[in-house]
Amino acid sequence: MLATQTAQSVIDHGLTLGADFAEIFVEKSQSSNVNTLGEKVQSVESGIDFGIGLRLVYGTKVLYGYTNNTSAEGMKRILSDLAARDLRDPLVAMTAFDYRDAPNHHPLKKPLSEDPAIESRIAYLLKADVAARAASNLISQTRGMCREVEQRIEIFNSEGLHIGDTRHYVRATMTSIASDGSKQATGMRSDGGMIGWEIAENLDAERTGAEAARQAIVNFGAKACPSGRMPVVIGNGFGGVIFHEACGHLLETTSVAKKASVFHDKLGEIIANPAVSASDDGTLTNEWGSLNIDDEGMETQRTHLIKDGKLVSFLVDRIGSQQTGYDRTGSGRRESYKYAPASRMRNTFIEPGDAEFDDMIGSIDRGIYAAQMGGGSVQPGTGEFNFAVTEGYFVKDGKIQHPVKAATLISTGPAVLKEISMVGRDFSLACGMCGSVSGSIPAAVGQASLKVDDILVGGNA
Amino acid sequence: MTIESHADQVLSLVVKAGGKGDLIVDQSDAISLKARNGQLEEHKVTSSRIFGLRVIKDEKVGTAYSEAADPDSLESLVEQALTNASYAAPEVHEKILANDARLSTDDAIFCPADSASTEDKIQLALALERELSSKDKVKNVPYNGVQDGTAERHVFSTAGLHASTRSHSCSAFAYALIEEDGKNAMEGSGQVARLFSDLDKTSLIDKVYQDSIDMLDGEPVASAHYDVIFDKEMQVSLFNIFAVMFSGKSAKDGINPMRDKKGELIADPRLTLSDRPDNVHGFGYSLFDDEGTPSGSIELIKAGKLKSLIHNSMTASYFKTQSTGHAKRGPRSPLGVGLHQLEIAAGDAEDTELHGGEYLMLTDLTGMHSGANAISGEFSFGASGYLCENGERSQSVRNVTVAGNFYQMLKNINMIGNRQHWNWQRSALMPSIRFADVAISG
Repeated sequence: MLATQTAQSVIDHGLTLGADFAEIFVEKSQSSNVNTLGEKVQSVESGIDFGIGLRLVYGTKVLYGYTNNTSAEGMKRILSDLAARDLRDPLVAMTAFDYRDAPNHHPLKKPLSEDPAIESRIAYLLKADVAARAASNLISQTRGMCREVEQRIEIFNSEGLHIGDTRHYVRATMTSIASDGSKQATGMRSDGGMIGWEIAENLDAERTGAEAARQAIVNFGAKACPSGRMPVVIGNGFGGVIFHEACGHLLETTSVAKKASVFHDKLGEIIANPAVSASDDGTLTNEWGSLNIDDEGMETQRTHLIKDGKLVSFLVDRIGSQQTGYDRTGSGRRESYKYAPASRMRNTFIEPGDAEFDDMIGSIDRGIYAAQMGGGSVQPGTGEFNFAVTEGYFVKDGKIQHPVKAATLISTGPAVLKEISMVGRDFSLACGMCGSVSGSIPAAVGQASLKVDDILVGGNA
Repeated sequence: MTIESHADQVLSLVVKAGGKGDLIVDQSDAISLKARNGQLEEHKVTSSRIFGLRVIKDEKVGTAYSEAADPDSLESLVEQALTNASYAAPEVHEKILANDARLSTDDAIFCPADSASTEDKIQLALALERELSSKDKVKNVPYNGVQDGTAERHVFSTAGLHASTRSHSCSAFAYALIEEDGKNAMEGSGQVARLFSDLDKTSLIDKVYQDSIDMLDGEPVASAHYDVIFDKEMQVSLFNIFAVMFSGKSAKDGINPMRDKKGELIADPRLTLSDRPDNVHGFGYSLFDDEGTPSGSIELIKAGKLKSLIHNSMTASYFKTQSTGHAKRGPRSPLGVGLHQLEIAAGDAEDTELHGGEYLMLTDLTGMHSGANAISGEFSFGASGYLCENGERSQSVRNVTVAGNFYQMLKNINMIGNRQHWNWQRSALMPSIRFADVAISG
């Protein structure tokens, strides 16, 4: 996407300004959104994102700029502006580029650039709409969305790296609204992956629509959620957002290096119940948070974070490595050329255990089964996090009683990790978008159903 | 090539293809600075431009965008938008307005000349972090920054419209992590201004420090129903999350719970809420919307009754009414609606009444993006703040949740203060509202 000679002259310029490291990140992304409202196609949107991110590093200080202009002179001007306060004699010599293709661990059959016809996406969403409406007369409306992004990247740096990769993301979501005219409730089903539209071979539109409708109807009949501290069983798949928020963000060197994480000095220590082992894995084939290379050009990997309750690794990007001394883990990620990379999660999960779901529920006198989770957030400095329950049930005397609505779970990372006492076998992963310093990126979360012995449930009963 | 000539090229192709359309061109230049340990940690300089096209052909609408501006890319932009339109269901209500006006904003208001240098901004970023870090019990200032930028928007249409806005803003923010005796707390705040010289470093540092110190001893309160006042920042956030209740677009789509409630009592009779883009003191001050329609003041709730929804030309046509000047469209998005600058009329409660007896002042809500359902009105957030008695803080409160139904809560207002306040982003002007009987879990 960018001529090698141009890249060479820009990086040379960066080094003549005295930078320790210079990098060019080129991105061209093609996107397509198909949106349905009920039985109609509401809108079809598409576009091209194109730009170049420029990074200079002086020690651990990062200078970053971006532009849509591909001229060498324009890029050099940005670098000169950025480095105006840091000018010094050159310390590092340019290493000649050695181009290599990224390894391809995620086979792709139907990328957007080769299969742009959207009839099949429309057909999928409209079929899901029919299935949702067929589930109940209470379903008053549906919204469908199919989003695809084909992201081509090319990275050059002053260490001679020149590497390119193409990533392809698909996300299909159906939302159902149940209403009787005075009361409303919603349900949602979402699937996705780092894959082409061949994902449709494994999607069942009728099941998607029925599932979105089922959740809306459950929530429509839900009662106010009791509040207070109690045990909670968190369902599999997107339930893994608990680990993502409670722990994952606190293990990124983005916060560790600043000592803004409560875990920054806990490497090698027991930070979780021995029932807990957890990993962040960018290598899982075609999964939503997977990569071939990270946004700094390093091949991605599986990183064991917690082993039997002991903290064994952080997630480390280039700058984080310089700041902390830990080895990079292929975790440097960014939303687009508009962001400098930072250490971020990929597919993050608690590994499955051997507990039975019925035993977890059966062990609860009074508590909640959080079958489906929504999003959440964390404050790394204190570890305080929250996340929303989108489908929940009251549990009493070891049995699931009735659905509850509007519940939030809050705690701190260190506290909740020690309260996970049982981890089940029904492991699965789910798609999410993770927002942080380097923008919003695809990140999968996962777990088997697990039991937290004591957590604050916020309800309005 | 100029922006105008790019627009000519794109819209001529649209007309040649038998369609009508409008083109948004956004461009911006900005600088962003972050400090750490007395040094500049990040220095970011950005420049961007994006073209967003909407075409209407045979009553079908398609949109496309491009960040590339070469002739081939712009031609492809038109082809994409036309192709996208061919898949859409006919939408008889969406049209390109017959508006050939030349509109522009006043630089003296939106983009005043600012003599501050890059070095001035760097020094502010460094001083903010250094001075806050030097205060007692502050472990560090992990999140901080100074930003400054100028943004332009141009809207061109095949009818001849050219509406342009140009605005400048600068902002500063900081979060301080405080530690003492194994306890910690982190609070933050920010400031925004049109002129760099209007940023007040000292008051920002003092606020962030005091808020963080005050929260160090925070403990949960007992689970119960309390009177609750959300501080001026959180109250605006809460109303924004549920702003879909005013959306004519959501009403047209069948997902606005207020769709059929015009004229009905939906809130306490003392509540009057308006959108006031004509208030020049706020950052939501606006002369026209993204269709070039004048954006006037409008009452949305008057004396508790729903008086109007907000409309663009499409939703107005659907509901057989007039556009209220609330068209909202970005380069990447289709035509929608959006509020400019919310204002709640002052009530009659003096501070002593408003703050009488026991109540919770909530100063931070977490999980607002995930813990609220704007369609049902249900919400549940993490919260912190202060338990107060007759205006005095009796306890710092952390690790609690607040939950309820926003649409029910609007009917359960205990009192409305008689003084209005801007939030720090200066996007809304509201008095404090004391809500009754709100569920808190601790």
